[in-house]
Amino acid sequence: MTKIFHEIRDPIHVFIHLDWYEKKVLDSRPFQRLRNITQLALTYLLYPGATHKRFEHSLGVMELASRVFDVITKPANLTDEVRGLVPDLGNADALPYWKHVLRMAALCHDIGHLPFSHAAEEELLPKGWSHERLSRSLIESDEMRTIWKSMVPRLDAEDIVKLAVGARKAKDLQFSKWEAILSEIIVGDAFGVDRIDYLLRDSHHTGVAYGKFDHYRLIDELRILPSFEGSSEPALGINGGGIYSAEALALARYFMFSQVYYHPIRLIYDRHLMDFLSAWLAQGSLLAAGTFPIDIEGHLKTTDDEVNAAMRIAASDPHAPGHYAAHCIMRHCHYKVLYERDSQDAKVNSEPGAAIAKAAEIEFGKDAVRYSKPKVKDVATDFPVCGRDGRIQAAISASETLSKLQPTAMEYVFIDPQLKDRAKTWLDKYRDNILATAGEQEDQDHEA
Amino acid sequence: MKHSQRAALLTLLNREMLSMGSWCGETHIQKATFFLQDLLGVDSGFEFILYRHGPFSFDLRDELSSMQAEDLLELATRREGYGPTYLPTPFSERFLERFPKTTARYLEQIKFVAGELGDKAVAELERLATAFFILDRECIVEVKPRAQRLVELKPHISLPEARMACERVDSLIERARPLMLEKEE
Repeated sequence: MTKIFHEIRDPIHVFIHLDWYEKKVLDSRPFQRLRNITQLALTYLLYPGATHKRFEHSLGVMELASRVFDVITKPANLTDEVRGLVPDLGNADALPYWKHVLRMAALCHDIGHLPFSHAAEEELLPKGWSHERLSRSLIESDEMRTIWKSMVPRLDAEDIVKLAVGARKAKDLQFSKWEAILSEIIVGDAFGVDRIDYLLRDSHHTGVAYGKFDHYRLIDELRILPSFEGSSEPALGINGGGIYSAEALALARYFMFSQVYYHPIRLIYDRHLMDFLSAWLAQGSLLAAGTFPIDIEGHLKTTDDEVNAAMRIAASDPHAPGHYAAHCIMRHCHYKVLYERDSQDAKVNSEPGAAIAKAAEIEFGKDAVRYSKPKVKDVATDFPVCGRDGRIQAAISASETLSKLQPTAMEYVFIDPQLKDRAKTWLDKYRDNILATAGEQEDQDHEA
Repeated sequence: MKHSQRAALLTLLNREMLSMGSWCGETHIQKATFFLQDLLGVDSGFEFILYRHGPFSFDLRDELSSMQAEDLLELATRREGYGPTYLPTPFSERFLERFPKTTARYLEQIKFVAGELGDKAVAELERLATAFFILDRECIVEVKPRAQRLVELKPHISLPEARMACERVDSLIERARPLMLEKEE
């Protein structure tokens, strides 16, 4: 007899249940490919346990999305004001449809990821492409549409796309208030379950305990609320009783970024990987020259495995494209930190790291210097909180802890290890001069 | 426009908006920047889509976070109202002094936007900005169909409110005309 429900053991959520259609997605080629895409790229070179894959993360996101959906649509958790703002909540017949869409969107939200979940997509994909756009192509592919069409009720691929990639990445699509809330469940800045799952999972696998927090309480206290008192726009917010778990989430994120995601050694391995990939892709032997493929068959053929195999060969062949970058990765002889952004330096130059990297390139040659400026991460404190009296407050008004959290700007300049001592001496001598001169040029007419 | 010049532009906008009595929460800055860029032609490079409370740019949201990280803006809490307000930091003025060209180039446009929108609440900003968005993106010039489209996109806005918003934004466009900049290459 065909099994209707399936369950999968998971280290974070214990059991994840799938229905027959979800199992079909699980068994599809785009989803199975995620078994070979590491969640945290080369982070395992620093944290050896971080070898987990996008596959299990995507299952976790589906599980959490489902839990959030059940909580926020529970009649007892809805006020008349919210029902007025989101009329879809009154359509009981439509809710099961949207829950299916949400679960499928959660499953598919990462299927477009490049090998090693690589962040440097702008350099490695043709202009205008991103992993979200690839996810969208896959969700809308014939292979996946066959599954959506076979479902009862059949799912609209565009609905799945909206929830999987959100308004930020699906700029051509119009989102209703309801769709905006549902996409927020997956990709939202404050309480997106993508974020909740990766913090818990990455924390578990890296052994960095900072990423853990009471997500059970957090999810149980989530509510659809007006963005602010009297607002016509609903948002995913929280009951006052859940504010401590929301604080814990924000702190977990802060620590995981500073300790893991933006660890300088991880950042330099990312740069070495990008250098290797650029050189490897440019030779065009396996893939379209210069970038990762954007056609579905090409994308499905490209995983960490192909890149690892090529990197291993390149590391031992001095004539292979990307040899030196591959060597740095495979032999663990990464570039060393020459300069780290300093808040006082930033008072005379907005991007002191960029100025020093540019000067160092002139002094030591382009190949010897690498610059990294990871994106500033919003502390995501822009969500409404419902107090005991039913009044809506901004999160930073409701929580002193959240009001104290600040985003952090980071910049690093790395140098070839063989030049480290010379470069340090050089920097000590010229640092102030470089920063002041470059600072004076910031108001010039055009981008350098 | 360089990242630092864009930061200078927004620092100046924040200062001028506050001086005109604006609440200066994120929504206020979003709508003011939208008019500054898409109406007056100040090429700050943000992409606006129709989202919460009308035209919204995720890139601008990221930029505001960066500016907090760079000690150019800080969020202050208020007991009542829309939520937090963006305020300049003690460093902001010193930072602006390093950008005399950028400041001089766009000061008139910024003052105009601050003067026109500084006293507006979120609901009115949403109506005006969405009315302009429809005119600009969908080229619906006539007030009546534009107001209908506004209601279609934002059902919580009544038709008379939508009509009034379209008329007001048309008159705002006329006042802005002498200050409109040529698109930069």
